[in-house]
Amino acid sequence: MAYHPRENWSPQLRRRVYTRRDFLHRAALLGIALPALPSLLAACADREGQEGAELAIGTPAKPTQQPLFDDNPAIDSGLEPEDGPLLLYNWEDYMNPETIPLAAEALGVEIQVTTFVNEEEALARLSSGEVQFDVWFPTSQRVPVAVAASLIQPLNHDYLPNLQANVWPQLVDPYYDQGSRYTVPYVTYTTGIGWRTDLADSADIEGQANPWDVFWNEKYSGVIGMLDSFTDVIPVALFHNGVADPSQATEDELVAAGDALVELIDLVDIRYRIDGSYAGLPEGRYAIHQAWSGDLVNSQYFWPGGVDEGTTRYLWPAKSEGSTTKGAISSDTMTVLKGSERPVLAHAFLNYMLDEANALKNFEYVGYQPPQNGLTSEYLISEEWLLPHLAPALVAPEDFELDSAWVQGPLDAATEALWVEQWNRANSGG
Amino acid sequence: MPTNLASGAEYATVGQRRWVWPGFALPGVLWLILLFLVPFYAVFAIAMGQLDPILQRATPEWNPFYWDLTVIGEAFAELFGGQLGVIALRTLAYVFIASLFCVLVGYPVAYFVSRKAGRWRWLWLLLILAPFWINYLMRMMSWVNLLSPDGQVNRWLTTIAGWFSVAFTPPDWLAGNHVVVILGLVYGYIPFFILPLFAALDRIDEATLEASRDLGASNAQTFWRVTWPLSRNGVLGGLVIIMLPMFGDYYTPNLLSGSPRTRMYGNTIDQYINQTTSGGAVGAALTIILMIFIAGLMVYYLRSINRASQEARE
Repeated sequence: MAYHPRENWSPQLRRRVYTRRDFLHRAALLGIALPALPSLLAACADREGQEGAELAIGTPAKPTQQPLFDDNPAIDSGLEPEDGPLLLYNWEDYMNPETIPLAAEALGVEIQVTTFVNEEEALARLSSGEVQFDVWFPTSQRVPVAVAASLIQPLNHDYLPNLQANVWPQLVDPYYDQGSRYTVPYVTYTTGIGWRTDLADSADIEGQANPWDVFWNEKYSGVIGMLDSFTDVIPVALFHNGVADPSQATEDELVAAGDALVELIDLVDIRYRIDGSYAGLPEGRYAIHQAWSGDLVNSQYFWPGGVDEGTTRYLWPAKSEGSTTKGAISSDTMTVLKGSERPVLAHAFLNYMLDEANALKNFEYVGYQPPQNGLTSEYLISEEWLLPHLAPALVAPEDFELDSAWVQGPLDAATEALWVEQWNRANSGG
Repeated sequence: MPTNLASGAEYATVGQRRWVWPGFALPGVLWLILLFLVPFYAVFAIAMGQLDPILQRATPEWNPFYWDLTVIGEAFAELFGGQLGVIALRTLAYVFIASLFCVLVGYPVAYFVSRKAGRWRWLWLLLILAPFWINYLMRMMSWVNLLSPDGQVNRWLTTIAGWFSVAFTPPDWLAGNHVVVILGLVYGYIPFFILPLFAALDRIDEATLEASRDLGASNAQTFWRVTWPLSRNGVLGGLVIIMLPMFGDYYTPNLLSGSPRTRMYGNTIDQYINQTTSGGAVGAALTIILMIFIAGLMVYYLRSINRASQEARE
């Protein structure tokens, strides 16, 4: 695929090459990691002593507080930050490289970043206890698990004045972690449909009662794709079949969803790609592709020839005129690890990232939107951080409160196996 | 007593020598244990391990007494009669067709370079080696550019069609085309086939060929009765080198297609390990199944090499 980062249409826009969301893609490129030596040291988990822990899983309709534990207290107020270096554990390419020296200068310490390509790898290494980091960036879905496994520590808000001052009220008190006991928000995004107005008929998506149905439209055979990620694809098939909450789907509903996906192979020659939206749409390889909103923001840098022709569109079916279906919304977080040796410094770093100017600096590279009160879509467009036709790819604070906003919870092993079984059917081909 | 001293010293050197030469193997042995046997054991430990109740992840079980065969049994069941069977058959077909192409294209090239290229053979070798200088993924990505709907290939085809005023709709090469994936495999792996074969052909003594002709054999007969049998192990060696990685390949179909139609066995392993939370054990089980299959191929290869060297001694 041709990466064509655009640099010239606005002086503020800087070159960026990858989004964190192509992690699956790059995970593939990096090779199958044999899950070997690292876990050797961890291993030998107590066979009898393990019991299934109750996870506190919240949804916008039913927010939840994460439990506190006596052996995992927050740090006291009024402490001086420790000496560096501060150790960050983040997704690959999920922070502006320019942010790191700036933060290091502001905090007066050295900052080192270690990256992971997917959360499985991150969880494996953190839970083994063989690695030591201060700050970790989990998705909100992982927060209940991280709390239950005591991987992260509660936050002391005295060190985080920017949380109340700058962050959307909806995410100061988020559904997955009421009262921000363990997390502060990093970026937020929706999962929707990206398309090209010159290659597809917008009327097939906009104004439809169920925009997801477009993936079953024969007209787009060969030029339509979805994300190579079963947790994103199975919900589309469930929404297509009229299931209200994919997290609660029964086995029969999942089989029906699998049937619908198998149908796509012959009907529209479906392809599953991680780079299909941000690179595939600008390059004209696809007319329509399922997309994470942040990737559509990034698509402006991937036009061959370097000029965004203004024909890319994004629609989040949860917030579309006439739509009666739902769409996923999510956010990623910043946390202080329980094993951190520099917890005060880690808090100072979280507060730094919640500053509006610093968040904007990071957005410039990452493309995924920080939930900052000051960074409204009007502001970002007027300041040329984003092309106007991509405005629907921005998340608004109220989006979390929509009845149609669907939040993906963690799947337990048995449910995940059912999902993967259908995904295998959908993905084996004829 | 100088003589005694001398013999004592001699004994010491003999004693040292006994350890010195095998001692050279030590780094290699350590390397194998650390980077081959331990990870290999870890794959088994994960495939037959347990599920962490909180993280819902596959955790390795290091004690073989507690190994649980459920997952690997399910993976076998899935292979014989499930979705995985379809993928495994497709992978087999892709690898065998791609290997056949490698032989058909690679053999004449290796033959030409070793026998006919004369003083330019260094240049030919250089040209064959040149792709090694570029990363495999980069080469595949350049194919993506060439084959994309408005890429160079379609532009040339459209231009040529224009010359003859033929109506022509450029095909979408990257939309799940078996041929494109197979050609991608051939393109990616063929240098690895040519080189060992070249070495084998190059070792054939010119005198044996002359002897064959002196005895009245035609060129074709010389090839079939002398060159081919002598180069057969080179072909097998080249095939082993290219087929093993092809069976585990998943980025070629990923980059050149992304369609369910062209999914390979390696894609399924990749999916379980990189996309799922609890599926690590299934990924490990699939890896073991692949290893068993490949071990079978290796046994065939080693036996035929062994037979050849015995024949050569006789």
